[in-house]
Amino acid sequence: MAEEFEPTIVAFLCKWCSSAGSDLAGVSRMEYPPNVVPITVMCSGSVSPLYIFSAFNRGADGVLISGCHPGDCHYIKGNYYARRRIALVKKLLEYVGLEPERFQMSWVSAAEGTKYTQVIKDFVKELKPLGPQTKLRRNR
Amino acid sequence: MEKILEKKSLPQWLRKLSSYEIYAPTKEGDLWNFRLVVNPESVDLSHFQTVVSPKKIIFPQREVLLEFNSNEDGVEVREILPEEKPTVIFGVRPCDAKAIILTDKVFGGDFEDPYYWRRRKSTALVGLACTPPPSENCFCLSVDGSPHAKDGLDMLMTDLRDRYFLESLTEKGNDLIKAGKELFQEPKAADKKEAEKIWAESAKKIKRQVKDVKRIPAKLKGMFESALWDEESLSCIRCGICTYLCPTCHCFDINDEIVSSSPLKGERVRTWDNCQFPDFTMHSSGHNPRPDRATRLRQRIFHKFQYFVERFQNYQCTGCGRCVSKCPVRIDIIEVLDKVREYGK
Amino acid sequence: MAKLEELKNEVKRILKEGKVKYAIGYERDTNGLLPKPAFIKKTEEADKLIWEPTCVYNLSRFLVDEKRKMAKEKNPDQRPIGLIIKGCDSRAVVVLLQEKFIKRSDVYLIGVSCENSGVVDERKLQKKLKGKKAEKIEFGEKENFVVTTSEGKIEIPASEILAERCLECKASVPVISDVLLGEKTKRKADNPFKSLERVESMSAEERWAFWKAELDKCIRCYACRSVCPMCYCDECVADTINFAVTADTTAEEKAQKIKWLEKSPVASENFVYHMVRAIHLAGRCIDCGECERVCPLDIPLRFLNKYLEKEAQELFGYEPGFDPEQPSLVACFKDEDPQDFIR
Repeated sequence: MAEEFEPTIVAFLCKWCSSAGSDLAGVSRMEYPPNVVPITVMCSGSVSPLYIFSAFNRGADGVLISGCHPGDCHYIKGNYYARRRIALVKKLLEYVGLEPERFQMSWVSAAEGTKYTQVIKDFVKELKPLGPQTKLRRNR
Repeated sequence: MEKILEKKSLPQWLRKLSSYEIYAPTKEGDLWNFRLVVNPESVDLSHFQTVVSPKKIIFPQREVLLEFNSNEDGVEVREILPEEKPTVIFGVRPCDAKAIILTDKVFGGDFEDPYYWRRRKSTALVGLACTPPPSENCFCLSVDGSPHAKDGLDMLMTDLRDRYFLESLTEKGNDLIKAGKELFQEPKAADKKEAEKIWAESAKKIKRQVKDVKRIPAKLKGMFESALWDEESLSCIRCGICTYLCPTCHCFDINDEIVSSSPLKGERVRTWDNCQFPDFTMHSSGHNPRPDRATRLRQRIFHKFQYFVERFQNYQCTGCGRCVSKCPVRIDIIEVLDKVREYGK
Repeated sequence: MAKLEELKNEVKRILKEGKVKYAIGYERDTNGLLPKPAFIKKTEEADKLIWEPTCVYNLSRFLVDEKRKMAKEKNPDQRPIGLIIKGCDSRAVVVLLQEKFIKRSDVYLIGVSCENSGVVDERKLQKKLKGKKAEKIEFGEKENFVVTTSEGKIEIPASEILAERCLECKASVPVISDVLLGEKTKRKADNPFKSLERVESMSAEERWAFWKAELDKCIRCYACRSVCPMCYCDECVADTINFAVTADTTAEEKAQKIKWLEKSPVASENFVYHMVRAIHLAGRCIDCGECERVCPLDIPLRFLNKYLEKEAQELFGYEPGFDPEQPSLVACFKDEDPQDFIR
C-alpha cells in the first residue's frame, strides 16, 4: 500500500504575532497537521528572499511567511516592507513556473491560534495533490 | 591508416559506435556547444567555434571526488572515481586538442590525477581540420599550432565537400575505423592531394598573429612591476569568461557539499575556478596578493606566456581566440602581447 | 544626431580645465565591430572617441570601479569623472544616486541623445547581412543605419536591427546630464513590455521548461553580475566563497559563514543565483541589456529582470531611474499595496 505523500512546509513566523499564534494553538491543544517546520524570525520584514529560495533549494514542498496584521507590527513598518517584497518573490516564483500554491503568506496575530491551524490545514490540503517539489530542489 | 568516408554515411558510422558515448558540436540557438549525441542524424560537423571547449568532457565543470556518510561506526568515506566509459568526441579543433595535451602535463607528471586520467584514457579525440578558421580571432599559427595539426588527436578528419578524408593516428583511432569498416573507402592519390591543398590554404586564412612571439617570455620576465598592467586592465570587469572558455585553463576549487549535517552526509566536489575572480587568491588571513584587476591580468598573461614556458617549454595558449571574441569589454590578448613586445621602446 | 565633434570638444574642454580626473567614452576597436571603452586622460586622446550605433556598453559600470579605487586611496582625488552617457545608462546613474552609492559631484555627465534611434543588436545584424561582415555602422538619415561591408555601404532601417530593448525604450534622452548633445526628441515605445509577451504567454509548465533549459546552460561565469552597474556589492551573497575577510575576522565567523548555494553550476544552484539576482534588482534594473549581451551562452537574462520591472510598475507604480530623490522600491511602501495574495 503506497504511503500518502506528506508535504514539508517551512514556515517563517514572526516572533511577536504569528509565532505566538502558533504557540496559542499548541497550548489550546488544537489539532493541525504536523507537516510544518516552524522558524521564528523577529519580523516578517526580516525574511530575505534568500531564505525562501534556500528553503525550496533544500527540498521544501511549501513555504509560508506569516506576520502581524498591517498596523500591528511590533517594529511599526516591518510587515509593510514584507508585503511588498514577498509580493515580488511570489511573482518571480510563479514566473519561473513554480506552482503558485507552494508559496503563501498570511497575517496571523498572537490571538489567532485558530486561524493559524486553519492556514496550515488549508496549505497541506493544497499541497498534497501537487506531490513533492522537484523543480527547485537540489538533486541528490 | 587513411580512409575516405562519404558524408552521408556519417550517421551510420555513429550508429556503429553505439558502445561509445559520443559527443559532437550541437547548435543551440546561434551558438555551438559539445553535447552528448542522441540522434546521429543531427550531427553536423560544419560548425564554427564552440563556446566551451571539449575540455569540459574530460575535465568536467563539476566532478564528485568522494562521498561521506556517517553510520554507527563513525564516518565512512568512499572515493568516487569516474567510470571508464569509452567516449569519442567528434569535431575537435586542433587548438582544442593541443590544449588537452598541455593540460595532460599539469595533471600528469609526478602525481597523476586519477579522476582526470580515467576520463582521458577512455576518450578518443576525433579532430576536424579547420577549413575555414572557426573564429575570426584564431591565431594558432603564432603559438606553435596549425589548423590541421595532429597533436593530441586520435584521428584527423578533413572536409572534402561531399566526403571526409580520415587519418587515423593511434590505436584508438584504428578501433573507431574498425567499428565501421565497410563504410569506408580507400583514398585515391587525388584525395590526399586535395586534403593537402586544403591544409595549405587554411593556414593562409588565419588572419591574426602575434608577431615575434618567441621574444615575449623573456620580455615578460622584466615586466612584473610594469605599469602596463594597470593601463590594460582599466576596462576589465572581472567576470570569468576568458578563463572559463579557455581550453588550457584548468584551475579548480574543491568544496564539500553537505546534504545533511546530522547524521553527516555529503560529497566532496571539484569545480572549475577562475583566477580572474577577485577572491581567487584570498588567504584565510585576509591578505590577497592579487587584489586588483591589474595583478590578475598580469597573472593570466604571465601564466600563459612565461611560467608555463619555463615549466613545460610550451605556451599555455593554443590560439583559439575565444577570450578575444567573448570578452565583454574587448580586452584582446593579442593586443596586450603586442604592447608587451613594444613596451619600453 | 549628436555631433561627434561636439562630443570630442566637450571632453577636451573638461580635461583641459581640470574639471574631471579622466573621461570614459567609446573608441574604435581595431578588431571587431563593437567599440572598446576608452579612458581619456589627456586632451589629445579625445580624438579617438566615436559615437555610433555600436556604442552599446553601459559605461556607468565604471563608476563602481572608480569608487572602489578611491576607497583604497589615502587622499583620493575628489574631482568627478567624465562619463559619456546614453538615455538608458543615465537611468543607471540615477539609481546609483537614489541609493546614495555615489554623490552627484562624483560624475560629470555628457549626455548623448539617441533621438529616434538606438544601438544595434550584433546578432540581428549578422542575420540580416547573411554572412557578409560589417566593418562599420553609422547613424544615417531618416532612422536608418548605414552599414559598411567589404562590398560597400548598405542602408538598413534601424527598426530591423535595433537592440530589442531600444524598441521598448523609456528614455532615449538622458534623464540627467551636465551637458546634453543631440535633439531632445523622444523615441516612441507604444508597448514598453512587448518582448515579455513571448514568455508570459507560456503556461506555467512551459515557462518552467524554458527557464530550466536556459539555466542548465549557465556556467556561472558571473559576467552578468560583473557587468551590471547595480551589482556593486563587494561581497555578493550568491558567491559563497567570496567573503570579505579582514584582519579582524574571527575563525568562528569564517567557519559559520552561511553557504546559500553551492559553487557547482547545476540547474538548482543556478536558479538560486539568478533568482536572487533578479529579486535584488527588482525596482533597480533599468534594462540596459548588458547582462544578456555579455552572457557567453546567450541566456535571455533580460526577461528575468524585465518581468519584475513590469510588476514593480503594475503593482506599485514604481519606475526606477528617473528621480534621484525617490527611495528604492523595497525601502518604501504604500498603504494601498496589494495584499490579495495574503491569507
